[in-house]
Amino acid sequence: MKNYDILIIGGGPAGISSALAAAKLNLKVALFEEKEILGGQLVKQTHKFFGSKDESAGTRGIYIAQKLINEVNNKDKIDVFLNSMVLGYYEDGVVTALVKEKMEKFKPKKIIIATGAFEKSLPFENNDLPGVFGAGAVQTLMNVYGILPGKEILMIGSGNIGLIVSYQLAQVGVKVKGIVEISEKIGGYLVHASKVRRLGIPIYTKHTIVKALGDRKVKGAIIENVETKEKKEISCDVICLATGLMPLSDILNQINCKMKYIPELGGYVPVRDENMKTTVENVFVAGDSSGIEEATAAMLEGELAGLYASYEITNTFDKRINEIKEHLKELRKTSSKVVSGLKKLNLYKDFIVDSQKDLGKLHRTGVPEKEMIENIIPKDSNRFAIMECFQNIPCNPCVASCPTNAISMDSLNGIPKLDEKKCIGCGNCVAVCPGLAIFVVDKKKESVLLPYEFLPVPEKGEMVEIMDREGNFLEKNIVLNVRKMKDKTNLIEVKVSKENINNARHIRVVI
Amino acid sequence: MDEEKIIVCRCEDITLKEIRDLIHEGYTTVEEIKRVSRAGMGPCQGKTCGPIIAREISKITGKPIEEVYKPSNRPPFGGLFFKEIVGESNEE
Ligand code: SF4
Ligand code: SF4
Repeated sequence: MKNYDILIIGGGPAGISSALAAAKLNLKVALFEEKEILGGQLVKQTHKFFGSKDESAGTRGIYIAQKLINEVNNKDKIDVFLNSMVLGYYEDGVVTALVKEKMEKFKPKKIIIATGAFEKSLPFENNDLPGVFGAGAVQTLMNVYGILPGKEILMIGSGNIGLIVSYQLAQVGVKVKGIVEISEKIGGYLVHASKVRRLGIPIYTKHTIVKALGDRKVKGAIIENVETKEKKEISCDVICLATGLMPLSDILNQINCKMKYIPELGGYVPVRDENMKTTVENVFVAGDSSGIEEATAAMLEGELAGLYASYEITNTFDKRINEIKEHLKELRKTSSKVVSGLKKLNLYKDFIVDSQKDLGKLHRTGVPEKEMIENIIPKDSNRFAIMECFQNIPCNPCVASCPTNAISMDSLNGIPKLDEKKCIGCGNCVAVCPGLAIFVVDKKKESVLLPYEFLPVPEKGEMVEIMDREGNFLEKNIVLNVRKMKDKTNLIEVKVSKENINNARHIRVVI
Repeated sequence: MDEEKIIVCRCEDITLKEIRDLIHEGYTTVEEIKRVSRAGMGPCQGKTCGPIIAREISKITGKPIEEVYKPSNRPPFGGLFFKEIVGESNEE
């Protein structure tokens, strides 16, 4: 039997953050991970994260994972058990786990459950055909092992996962035939939606998949308009399901933590208090297993659980505990779904969420209305940044990136505003924006500076095809300048004729 | 819609038709359906099919889903060899 202060189940963003928090206080930590590497879903996230500047916003998930893993490896207070599955928890506080093909017993003072989530499946005809994948599997194949799942793909679900994975598939050269969304509005962040629309990928709102076509493998799909019942056939060799996650709660169920079914949080979640304590003595929870949210929230919850569990052992209260709670509140200020779920757990009782505006066409198609764009185009300036970011989301790296303080925002969840007199058109904001929603327009020079995350990167002087917000071809023109960036969001300045200057939003290299 | 071609439990290959037939026969909890059909007894231990079966029961019987879907779990959570518990001294 091995003794530890804190035993953490799950080596994803929440679990790692818990481990680091407890190790900071000099406690002895065991961190269990079923897979061969730490990092959880972060190791597949090649996109930049939202959030506030002080929580690694604008950094790609894979780099956040690397940083966290390095920190864990530098702490000798943390014993990491990889390829090790926790098997059970017993009333006397003993945890059993399979370590190196042997069942071992552990006796921790506290345990933190950070087991993450499980992808929801979807019943439709022929849903067992080879070629039907979960979005997690597609990301693992593509981003961890470097294997293409197929050539042409249909994405089901327009939440952030569906949108982001579609974008990543397009980056590696897979043709994304469309994104199917059952409700009338796009589920994920609209800047992500605009990003895929620019590539010419359609989003079918109010549609659902009814049938996979093919005999021995997927050859296509039939989707149906949920209102008109009109059907449409789409050919593809992969159907990717991004229809939501549910908290992974096996261990919590087994321990007999009080559970509650809360659809807003993804399914069954443990009843917990504001310090992530479950109803069972010495058992804490963090991350998606306590309710589905973004990775940033998981890291904060993990740290909170780690610090609070440590506090119960050491009796020294870390100020950071209260800071994290405030951060989480700020992060959730516009997440009406998560907050209404938390209210059902008797948390966030008096918390009021900022109401989310219906953004009309943008919410239904991912492409903003003409007037929305016209409203933000500066009238008296010849070179300016234009921020096509209209939705309240917890994101602000653009503000800090500006050397002349031309961008302002009233809170983390606010909409960025440009002071056109201050903007010098340097393009710093274009490079940091995780939504790839900022462009610099130069009316005199007749050019647009845009973010570009595809290969090959064009050369200065090369002719490229220029596309609008829906991926429609506008014109061919010449690349004026290329700024290769370390974080791989390269900046391309391209010449654009006057009539297209307000619509040029993407380029394609002609091979 | 061909219910026989919709797989609900992919570990044990159980279709939507089989599940709906069982509910109509009077098996109206996830646990009962698991015992008569083996849905949920495969490697994923009902994580994929459990919520779908619960939704079907809820739709047909009118009971709210939180009353229907109450997963219970017992250790061990994964497959385990005897040798991993007791150790192997002699292969022969
Ligand atoms: S282009 Fe430069 S000056 Fe203008 S808003 Fe962006 S960062 Fe600020
Ligand atoms: S414009 Fe600013 S707030 Fe909007 S996505 Fe980009 S960095 Fe975030």
